[in-house]
Amino acid sequence: MKEEIKSSSGHALLGALFFFAGLIVALIIGWIVFPKVLYSEKLQPLDFSHAAHQDSSCEDCHYFRPDGTYSGIPGIQNCKQCHEEPMTESEQERILVEEYIQKDREIPWLVYAWQPDNVYFSHAPHHVAKLECVQCHRDVSTDKDKLPIFYENRLTGYSKSTMKMVECEKCHAERGASNACQMCHK
Amino acid sequence: MKFGRRTFLQVTAGAIGGILLSPLPWKLADDSAIWSQNWSWRPSPERGEVTKVPTTCLFCDGGCGLEVHLVRANRAIYLQGNPLSPVNNGGICPLAAAGCQFLYAPHRVSQPLKQTKTRGDLSGFAPISWEEAITELSASLSKMRTAGKAAGLACISGATRSSMFDLWRQFFAAYGSPNLFSTPCHADSLKLAGRLTLGYESPPAFALERAAYVLSFGADLLEGWGAPTRMQAVFGQWHQAKPGATATKLIQIDPRLSMTATKADEWIPINPGSQPALALGIAHVMIKQNLYDADFVNNHVFGFEDWTDGDGKVRQGFKKFVLETYPPPKVAELTGVDAVKIEELAKTFAAQENSVAIWGNGAAETANGIHADLTFFALNALKGNFKAGGMVSLVPTVPLAPLPEVQLDQWAQKGAQQPRLDLTQAKKAPLPGNNVYAFIDVLKNGAPYSIDLLLVHEANPLFTLAETDLVKSAFSKIGRVVSFSSYMDETAVQSDLILPNHMALERRDDVVGLPGAPYAFYAVSSPVLPPRLDTKHTGDWLLQLAGKIGGSIKDSLPWKNYDAYLQSRVAGLAAAGIGAVADKAGIEPWKLKPGQHPKANFKDDKDLWKKLTTGLCWYDAPIDPMQDLATKNEKYNLACLDLQASGLKVSEDRIYLPHHAALPPSGDDKQFPLLLVSYRILPLSDGFLPSPPFMTKTLPDTLLKGQHLFVRVHPETAQSLGLKEGDQAALKTPVGEVKVRIRIFPGAHRGTVFIVQGLGHTAYDEYIRGKGVNANQIIEVQMDPITGMGTVWATRAQLVRA
Repeated sequence: MKEEIKSSSGHALLGALFFFAGLIVALIIGWIVFPKVLYSEKLQPLDFSHAAHQDSSCEDCHYFRPDGTYSGIPGIQNCKQCHEEPMTESEQERILVEEYIQKDREIPWLVYAWQPDNVYFSHAPHHVAKLECVQCHRDVSTDKDKLPIFYENRLTGYSKSTMKMVECEKCHAERGASNACQMCHK
Repeated sequence: MKFGRRTFLQVTAGAIGGILLSPLPWKLADDSAIWSQNWSWRPSPERGEVTKVPTTCLFCDGGCGLEVHLVRANRAIYLQGNPLSPVNNGGICPLAAAGCQFLYAPHRVSQPLKQTKTRGDLSGFAPISWEEAITELSASLSKMRTAGKAAGLACISGATRSSMFDLWRQFFAAYGSPNLFSTPCHADSLKLAGRLTLGYESPPAFALERAAYVLSFGADLLEGWGAPTRMQAVFGQWHQAKPGATATKLIQIDPRLSMTATKADEWIPINPGSQPALALGIAHVMIKQNLYDADFVNNHVFGFEDWTDGDGKVRQGFKKFVLETYPPPKVAELTGVDAVKIEELAKTFAAQENSVAIWGNGAAETANGIHADLTFFALNALKGNFKAGGMVSLVPTVPLAPLPEVQLDQWAQKGAQQPRLDLTQAKKAPLPGNNVYAFIDVLKNGAPYSIDLLLVHEANPLFTLAETDLVKSAFSKIGRVVSFSSYMDETAVQSDLILPNHMALERRDDVVGLPGAPYAFYAVSSPVLPPRLDTKHTGDWLLQLAGKIGGSIKDSLPWKNYDAYLQSRVAGLAAAGIGAVADKAGIEPWKLKPGQHPKANFKDDKDLWKKLTTGLCWYDAPIDPMQDLATKNEKYNLACLDLQASGLKVSEDRIYLPHHAALPPSGDDKQFPLLLVSYRILPLSDGFLPSPPFMTKTLPDTLLKGQHLFVRVHPETAQSLGLKEGDQAALKTPVGEVKVRIRIFPGAHRGTVFIVQGLGHTAYDEYIRGKGVNANQIIEVQMDPITGMGTVWATRAQLVRA
């Protein structure tokens, strides 16, 4: 009798062990493997260095146009103003000048904060509400010479760091801004 | 221990729990939703800076100012009216509003193409370089010329209000061919009417902005008459309450309750084609009751009273003729308009200070019968509307620099001796104008000399000309057809060579004068973005070709490119020193009196060119038709003396005079008991350009449903034919047969079938072709005996349930 009891409690223990083994493997897959598989790592067409542009102000490149729209990432015309000819020995600058400026091609930047087409986002009211850039964007003041890896979601094509709707809603709720659908989905 | 069923379940349960506690399922569900928004065929608008570039619209000849919205200066996303333009004041028509679709349409011709198989076989088009094309064409043109066959070159151009047409004219004169035609339009006969009455070959212009009472004899004001967006603006003005002024009254005389008729103050239904008779009935009342402008008629009009012709024969004057021939009871019979109503119309028309008679020509892109046009001229003359500052004048000539004198070499002289092909008909018209239909007729029935090469520029004759099958068989007699269309239209498909022009937003061009507007007007269109495809400006191509053919052609066309040519023309305008640039909103050129030139606000030709190329237009005061009279007797000619001078043997006095003479449509009225009349609407483009998909979407199901076009029929007519709403029917005329569906419409004239123009394309792309039928397939053209121009008013028809 005693042995039988022992054996059944042993079975239960073993069962729990198997259960936890499955659980842990699945958790590892879900939390560690899956994100690695879901995102492909991409590099920017060239490494722009914010640190090397400290003599310019942020607004030289990222500015509001007279009609209230935001320039976002500047076009090649902006770069051309200073880099018509290389100013340094940098390999990255060589790529900029030879591959893009001289060929008059726009740089196909991978945008970390690119929102889908069905999101109507305007920087202007957020600027008026005195939001700091870093509340939504990465802090470029700590940038080294290399730009961060762009993690592209293999399914959606968007960046891993693209802000999700819940984050917009949270901030809107906290600040008393409307969360009505048409605020962002026109 | 073995890995049994129990163990498997335990592991699986753990795994399921683990997965559910990880982001995997939730993230996947969310991402799949986003993935489904990004399928490749879903359009995604380009992002970037949006700029507005002003230019002049070339989608029709209405001369509107446009603002093109561009993303990153290279993707057009939106067209809107330019508020600085005095023509459209920021307004826009449906065609221009949908205009971006022409730029990106799949039916664009992306590069020069040569037909390598039989004509019309789309698979036979093979790419050819511009260099090859020009070498090949210049060689064959050179050969034709030296062989004494210069007249074998012909052209049909739709650019009638552009300097491009003058360039064609110059080229054809220098080359030595008389066979240059423009696509037919109402202005063709109006110009001749202007010449016969006032000695000035220009279409009439109406100061509608100032009108108080408008008698519209079928002028479809809101459906494309004149400069369409100007008319929308004028119509808006009429209905604005102005202190101290009574609202303008519009009387629409139309056999169909058109859009204009529904918005008019009164709709007078009339028998199709009988509007000139009504005008003469009104003239009768005005003369009989002394309601006409006696001062103007007695002092400035010839032919009102009886007169003596060059041979000493006494001819009946307009007064006696109208009094005898058009008493209201008789006119009532002809028109279906009550005699009392005719009298009332005449009295009101005569009593109002700013009353004007305007008229249209239905939908068809054709000339009008010359006597019909003369009749409406006459009604306005009786009212004294041609006086200085009156309601009617002629479209002023823009003083652009004239082209240099053509250098005729021996081959050009030889070619010029050949008569224009349309004039080789046995029955010659005494007053020929732009006779495309006669040209087509001669080609089909055997021409005295062959056309070896036809150039088709900004035109689609295989769709827009009536009696399409006849046009097609005439085309089969032409050696080679070259189309300059930027779009794979019906004519381009049937061409041997396509040399695509830049489309309207990609090229420099100009608009000379506004249809129906009294003030002088000139505007230049500028490319708003670089050409998307391997296209070339036809003007540049023509100048290049001129240099390669040889002889003295290049001396007559000395410009290095089309831009330089246009600049040279504008230099002439600047040198004339009159007119001004409309550089601020709210300029109202129609308020200028004849001779009251606005103060020039440009320094020199460079300054004027700079202003014009930034989308501003040039304008000047209207002309005084009586001061610019160019008739020999220095009078307005009610009796057209020029007809006698043109060699016409006039037997009946009425031939000289405005009268009602609708040409009887062919066919047996027992076999074809109905009349077929076509009409146009603003949301359907019936000219060179097809309706882009955005416009087609606005058509109601009662006009186009799937592939079916609905014709309008009066309930009683439908009942007598045993037809119900929505029935399918065969619509047959002596010219052809099409399948249509029936729309019962009490606003349609009894015994008449109304069919809309602009549907039934067979070319272009899947978004345009195969929708409805082309009315031109079944419409009959009749030649006006005086001008020889093809006219259309009605075709006999039968409607049988299919």
